[in-house]
Amino acid sequence: MTSSVSRRRTTLGIAIGAASALCLGLLTGCSDDSDSGTGADGKPVTLTFWGWAKGTKEVVDAFNASHKDIKVSYKEIPSGVAGGYAKISNAVKAGNAPDLFNVEYPQLPDFVSQGAVKDISDQVDPALEGQYLPQAIDLVTLGGAKWALPLDASPQTFYYRKDLFEKAGIKTPPKTWDEFRTDAEKIKKADPKSRIATFFPDDPSTFEAMVWQAGGRWFKAGEKAWDVNFDDNATRETAAYWQKMIDDDLVHVTPSFSQQWTNSLQKGRTAGYLGAAWGGGVLGTTLPDQKGKWAAAPMPTADGKPASGMLGGTTFAVSKDSEKTEAAVEFAKWATTTEAGIKARIATGTSSAYPAAPALVPVARKAFKTDFLGGQDVYADYEDAARSINEDWTWGPVMGVTNNALRDSFAKLGSGDGDILGSVRKAQQDTRSELKNRGIEVSGR
Amino acid sequence: MTAPGKTESVRGAGTGARAPRRRGRLGAPALLLLPFFLLFIACTLVPLGNAVRLSLYRESRSGLGFGGTERVFNGFGNYTRALEDDAFRDGFLTLAQYCVLYIPLMMGLSLALALLLDSTLARARRFFQLALFLPHAVPGIIAALLWMYLYTPGVSPVIDFLDSAGLPANLLGNPVPAVVNIALWEWTGYNLVIFYAALQAIPREVLEAAVVDGAGPLRVALNIKVPLIRASLTMVGLFTVIGSLQLFTEPMILHGAAPEVVTTWTPNMYAYTAAFERNDYGLAAAASVLLALAAALLSFAVTRLSGSRSRKREEAAG
Repeated sequence: MTSSVSRRRTTLGIAIGAASALCLGLLTGCSDDSDSGTGADGKPVTLTFWGWAKGTKEVVDAFNASHKDIKVSYKEIPSGVAGGYAKISNAVKAGNAPDLFNVEYPQLPDFVSQGAVKDISDQVDPALEGQYLPQAIDLVTLGGAKWALPLDASPQTFYYRKDLFEKAGIKTPPKTWDEFRTDAEKIKKADPKSRIATFFPDDPSTFEAMVWQAGGRWFKAGEKAWDVNFDDNATRETAAYWQKMIDDDLVHVTPSFSQQWTNSLQKGRTAGYLGAAWGGGVLGTTLPDQKGKWAAAPMPTADGKPASGMLGGTTFAVSKDSEKTEAAVEFAKWATTTEAGIKARIATGTSSAYPAAPALVPVARKAFKTDFLGGQDVYADYEDAARSINEDWTWGPVMGVTNNALRDSFAKLGSGDGDILGSVRKAQQDTRSELKNRGIEVSGR
Repeated sequence: MTAPGKTESVRGAGTGARAPRRRGRLGAPALLLLPFFLLFIACTLVPLGNAVRLSLYRESRSGLGFGGTERVFNGFGNYTRALEDDAFRDGFLTLAQYCVLYIPLMMGLSLALALLLDSTLARARRFFQLALFLPHAVPGIIAALLWMYLYTPGVSPVIDFLDSAGLPANLLGNPVPAVVNIALWEWTGYNLVIFYAALQAIPREVLEAAVVDGAGPLRVALNIKVPLIRASLTMVGLFTVIGSLQLFTEPMILHGAAPEVVTTWTPNMYAYTAAFERNDYGLAAAASVLLALAAALLSFAVTRLSGSRSRKREEAAG
């Protein structure tokens, strides 16, 4: 009975009246997790939300404290690639998905294509759209519709240990990839067990961000068909560069966020991290003992001119079958575009997310405790990097398959007989055949 | 053998109300079996049927793929796709390597330890029985995590020690032996208990007769004890083969530290990846059905083989 009320999508006032009438009539029939999409006095809409981004719990708490009509019930799930996405897709298939969940930009098209996400175009008016960075809006706009609200833009950032760099005789962080290689040699020379950074064989998104930065463009959505081409110049150059770094043993090859990686950082055997804006907060919580020893620098580029890809970056998507779209969008809007929402996240000290709404960057800058990075004004750096994000990149609709193919062939890199470009070509082949298998149009070869 | 016959005759002679009592006897077993069959239908047959049904469909999109999905009948398309996929076939190859290494090692080790425990030489039997069984009490996931820690360079004291001794070891780079080692640790003690129980059930007079005839302890163990517990050996072998086909937990955990354990390392992992990372439930269902078929065929072959061998032996003996 209550759900039929919500389906009619009546205006809030009428619905509140109806719901309270129902509550009066049924007394016990109105439970907290009823399907009602409306709120009544003392009976707010309860919204289920799954996510894992740092600081989310604090954001939810702050929202619940300041809102009476909507109550968000948050459940922390494992990060997307660590099983969170499997959990979400599973729940969607089983029909018990949360109303709202976090998806990173690369996986959003996949979720949309699965039919797991609701089109929220009619909730996103131009005024709201205008608050976000255009690059971020592009990534949540698919086939002309809006599917999610972006939380952060995640410009690439290079984090490094100041003390280890100094010890190796490096005065300024590398500006170009050539300098990065020279510095890598110096770091290794200063301590044969130490390397400048890590190539993550388990997480292709870092490599993809490098390709993005170099101007590559793997997917282009045409009018009716996808143009899939992983074999462009930017990709070939990026692949050759990292292949050589690995072959010459100038970077570690260990899984991202693994015990091995953390341990190597703790022992000072890894002097840098090729990450993104959010990485500052993550490093800070992973390595509390190294407070003040780290610094952030712009990601090196081919020619020294600023350029960036995006590494990860989170969005809020409403699940297909949710009957509380308005409330879900309301919360997502609050979490991504209000001062209070951003402040609650950044002030935890665990998150250094760069807001996708540029107007809130000063808020984040003020709220971020930057003692891990030695008091550096990192948000100024992130801001420059965010401005330099290449606009052309689009994620494909089967990134699960694309990334799995890359991950499984990158696996051989650790033992010395991997082939990055070969892996990329294999991934392209797998991606194309998966697109065809799903009935999605592919143009070109 | 004689006991049931005796009660039958006693009861039969006793009263004239034989017919209703028989009906009662049929009713009781039916009632007692009912929960089993209900659960069997609900937990085995229905999911199996559902998997078969899922495996015949695929989800189709059109255009750029953002217009929603449509479920279309795909015949055996998912099956051919799985069989044509190198990754799926490689999974079976991995399993074959794993079985060739694991089964003889585990069976040999369990049997040897059981024979030692059963021999007259053994001291502190209860202690060793418990100590050897203990690893099995550790859940598979925890065991995998423990071993992952011991395998990971930079974290593991074992690897640090080997490194300092000038013996650099890349344990994670060789996933098959790494996983076999975990499985050995988990299962040797368990199967040892089964073998030991079977050995304890051998009539002592047979063994005494052998000793009187001049057989040494080794001869008694190999020529008398082992043949007498063949039934247990077959059973353990069968369970191990089926269990090996289901290999999932340990490699899935190791995958986090060793990318060499690829996402499609075993057929079970292939099915998992297809369902939850590629969102291709049809393919996942087809792969699972194929795996179930392979398990059925293999267990049939194992029972058949061991059955015919023991029959032959009986004939030869008779």
